[in-house]
Amino acid sequence: MDAIIAAFSQVFSIYNFLLLVLGTVVGIFIGAMPGLSVNMGLALLFPITFTVGGLGGIIMLLGIYCGAIYGGSITAILLKTPGTPASAATTLDGYPMAIINGQPGRALSISTTASTFGGVFSVVCLILFAPMLAKIALQFSKPEYFALAVFGISMVTSVSSGSVLKGIVGCIVGLWIATIGLDAMSGMERFTLGTLYLSGGVSFMPILIGLFALTQVFVNCEESVGTKQQKSDIKIDSVLPSCADVKLTLPTLVRSSAIGTFIGCVPGTGGDIGSWISYNQAKVWAKDSSQFGKGDPRGIAASESGNNSVVGGAFIPVLTLGIPGDGATAIILGALMVHGIQPGPLLFVNNPAGVYTIFLGLLAANLLMGAFGFSFIRMFARVVNIPRQILLPIIAVMAIMGTYSYNNSMPDVAIMVCAGIVGYFMHKSGMSVPGVIIGIILGKLAEENFTGSLMMSDGSAVVFLEHPLCAVLLFLSALSLFSPMYRPMLRKLFENR
Amino acid sequence: MKTIKALVAAAAVAAAMCAAGTAMAAYPDGKDVTVIIPKNPGGGTDTTARGVIQMMQKDMGNIHFVCVNKPDGNGIVGMQDVANAKPDGHTLGMVTVELDIFPHQGKTKLSYKDFDSVIAPIAAPAALIVPAKAPYNSLDDFIAYLKKNPGKVMMGNSGMGAIWHIATMAMEKEFGVKVKHIPYPKGTADIAAAMAGGHIDGTLADPSSFKSQIEAGNLKILAVMADKRTKMFPDVPTFKELGHNMAIRAWATLVAPKGTPADVMKTLRDSATRVAASEEFTSYFLKQGIDPTDIIGEDANKMMANDDAMYAEFLAALKK
Repeated sequence: MDAIIAAFSQVFSIYNFLLLVLGTVVGIFIGAMPGLSVNMGLALLFPITFTVGGLGGIIMLLGIYCGAIYGGSITAILLKTPGTPASAATTLDGYPMAIINGQPGRALSISTTASTFGGVFSVVCLILFAPMLAKIALQFSKPEYFALAVFGISMVTSVSSGSVLKGIVGCIVGLWIATIGLDAMSGMERFTLGTLYLSGGVSFMPILIGLFALTQVFVNCEESVGTKQQKSDIKIDSVLPSCADVKLTLPTLVRSSAIGTFIGCVPGTGGDIGSWISYNQAKVWAKDSSQFGKGDPRGIAASESGNNSVVGGAFIPVLTLGIPGDGATAIILGALMVHGIQPGPLLFVNNPAGVYTIFLGLLAANLLMGAFGFSFIRMFARVVNIPRQILLPIIAVMAIMGTYSYNNSMPDVAIMVCAGIVGYFMHKSGMSVPGVIIGIILGKLAEENFTGSLMMSDGSAVVFLEHPLCAVLLFLSALSLFSPMYRPMLRKLFENR
Repeated sequence: MKTIKALVAAAAVAAAMCAAGTAMAAYPDGKDVTVIIPKNPGGGTDTTARGVIQMMQKDMGNIHFVCVNKPDGNGIVGMQDVANAKPDGHTLGMVTVELDIFPHQGKTKLSYKDFDSVIAPIAAPAALIVPAKAPYNSLDDFIAYLKKNPGKVMMGNSGMGAIWHIATMAMEKEFGVKVKHIPYPKGTADIAAAMAGGHIDGTLADPSSFKSQIEAGNLKILAVMADKRTKMFPDVPTFKELGHNMAIRAWATLVAPKGTPADVMKTLRDSATRVAASEEFTSYFLKQGIDPTDIIGEDANKMMANDDAMYAEFLAALKK
């Protein structure tokens, strides 16, 4: 009890609370800017944790982490430009609802609700079930990771709107892109054309920015030719979601948050995987999934609660095992250690006050993030009213600057522009962009763990069936992959009865 | 017209004065100094670099370091940028042990000869770490176990051809044993997770990611491949003490391009010497689970040269 009181006085002291506010606002901004990554924001502000005494610096980092994952959804919805990879799935329904259906306020309020819900849900899970979930996460060896990746990849057939075949082709292209560069499993270089840049692999961020932001600029430019610009003046009545929307999305919110929390607690996965799997599950479970991809509120809710709930989940291995699951938590782990908090199995015994401070800090960060989100919605939504001839050049410039600043690399910018041009033709021919993205995100995870599993088993493929969790996931993947083939048959069968 | 002439004249005078100023001002001259970090923000190399230069900036006063992360091409692009920069003390870089490994794998023509060291604040040794409940409690036990079970014991590394894989192969060669190499390309945190989950039997890697698991009694550390014992685990013997002269360490060195004037190098090295002797330096790194070293100037150059020769010989022997 003393520890909880101590934690309260830490988090809610005026100084630390202001730091949390600052961190959350900076986080939302970093998240909304394509190219500024969560890790970059954390690394930049990491030195500040030395100058501010006590746990204030850590609390600020928590704010940045939560805020950035949320911030990515704002540009994803309004500009079809995901600010972070975690929000790529949000564009699928967010952009159609905000721009095509002309309801930016509704889209933002659903995403803010979903983000806050997912964040809080995952922190509650962290508080209640951390040791248990950590134990399950530790069961994940290479075969399980492989199966998880395959499960993710198998959803291309259901995520891609339109032609299933085109979705699969896109995915294969994505998988191929993921093989470029130095293969750590064999030490060999692949598809590098002998260039230095490609030996490090193609970064994901430029492709993401190109395929979404730049492609959208091209498409909008084309649409604008010859049409007279209409002045749009969208007014927002309420920034809070309507009762009907809450009722419709609630089951999705709970399911996606649970998925996201679990994905988060498995080391080596992250918000991007969490949001795609959540999105797909929302579509699979929906009775009427015809509106997905055209502005279904459940699509936004799934993706945004799926990625924000990864945050709480990601702290599970950090706090209970002392093992960071991704770059962002690795930085926060470093900051904790600087302040004499050694995360790991002994943390809960040695420093309960520290643990509760992190719990409370995360909770407060998520709530603050929601509060800021709702109060900024009117301001954000004004972006929609900016005339296209002004907005499009701004997006194009932002895309280039964001790409360059990500790795300080000119080749990255070239890749981004190529991806933008390719993306335009993909749009024209009805090819699915999500397929490519899923291929790139999951390709490495799948391949590395496939070869790794076989290395462990001396080449025997039986290993994938020996691990029960792996076998189940692979079975589900097969079901999901072939669902377009058997689903119409099933439906007919039921209707005839 | 007159005003334009006056302006031109004024500009010319100002330019001349600036030029004279730069020629005369001693280093540091208050201008920005770019520090290229060839790794992603937030990683071990990045935090180390940022920590050291922050302390050096405080120490020197009239200098402003600007960090630039350039992780392209596995870090080679960033290191090349440092090597090609004008050697005037306004571009520095944080090069890593890969600089001694990559040339012998045909990945770059760059080598330690292209740089002049300021300080190597970190040289993490390969530590032999195994699960606590494993039946071996010393290096000799472990080797005896390996000899009884050739090719069966799974050892995690951070990627084939990367440093911890080389360390494990060096152990195989030194003791005449065989293990099963399992790569975890994302790095040592994943190896730690796999060990905690009981999926692999051991690793030879930088111990900092394993610290909390070791302290909790889930893992144990049998020996380190270092010249002397580490500050973080002072009770753990070195391979050298046990009769095997092996030192494989993941270092990162703050360097300037070759040809940087001697007085500039001296200023930087003097500052690094003062910083490395401070209490703040040691505690900054120890708190983050990094074992700090204070290998400065020519010593760091020598370390890079020695390691380069070692990897050259070892990697050439592997090819045969």
